[in-house]
Amino acid sequence: MSSAVDPKLEAGASAGVETERNRPSFNGTVELEPGAPSDAELMLGIQAEEPEALSQLYDRYNGILKALILRVIHNDTEADDLLQEVFMEIWNQAKNFSAKKGKPLGWMVTLARRRAIDGLRKKQAYLRAEARLQTETEQQPGAWVENVTEKEIRSGDARLLMGKVIKSLPEAQQEAIELAFFQGMSQREIAANTNTPLGTVKTRLELGLKKIYDGLKELRDEF
Amino acid sequence: MSFEEFQNQSRLYVIGALEPDELTEFEAARKEFGTKAEDFITECYALHEAFALSLRPAKSSAALKDRLMSMVREKRAK
Repeated sequence: MSSAVDPKLEAGASAGVETERNRPSFNGTVELEPGAPSDAELMLGIQAEEPEALSQLYDRYNGILKALILRVIHNDTEADDLLQEVFMEIWNQAKNFSAKKGKPLGWMVTLARRRAIDGLRKKQAYLRAEARLQTETEQQPGAWVENVTEKEIRSGDARLLMGKVIKSLPEAQQEAIELAFFQGMSQREIAANTNTPLGTVKTRLELGLKKIYDGLKELRDEF
Repeated sequence: MSFEEFQNQSRLYVIGALEPDELTEFEAARKEFGTKAEDFITECYALHEAFALSLRPAKSSAALKDRLMSMVREKRAK
């Protein structure tokens, strides 16, 4: 990490940067310090309009949500604006969150992805982002995930574990999922974009998603 | 549609990749399978978390949180 970075950001908490204690673990949340409120408890606090609860949730997840938004729109300033909108939406819509329908992180990711894809389309930045994505893909094949070692896998870090699952997919399946999830493309759009028959795109998505889903289940059972 | 086919379609559904004609068929199957279908769709949203968690966390501007919290406190005060 660059030494020019704000020391407070380097410390990790306010920037959502991983630290040993603030690292995504495989239960779909981050490892919490002893006594720290759970995500569900923070959501209850937000529902009760307690700003401190939002502040803590922000510290915990802004890095992950920013990364997701950035992956969609490829522009840091716009990503910050959208991140702010996402957390305002979390504050405003918290009453609609139900723990019965899933975990807070899943809900927040869904909100962030929707906002990011809407933002991408509204600003008609689609073609520019696509060109950037293509350049990035050419420069860094498989940049979505990184290679991981067995030692890293044993550490239980969610990013590395997910990286391993995704990396195990054939590149064509990774690409189809990347375009669908991070670029919000329909199957027809993916087919047109990659010069691939529609049926092949559908098969790639189905097989790739099933493999990731099954991998997730295995990892959850393991941890 | 068999439940296995419904499961495949559910994974496409949660990432918004179903085509309009598939969506109609999916919604009909969703009604038919009832609670079992809803439970499976909920499980599929774990894919969203997984994709997000696969990314390296990014840094936000230092002023962003201050701005956000000011907006929240202002809204709460109204």
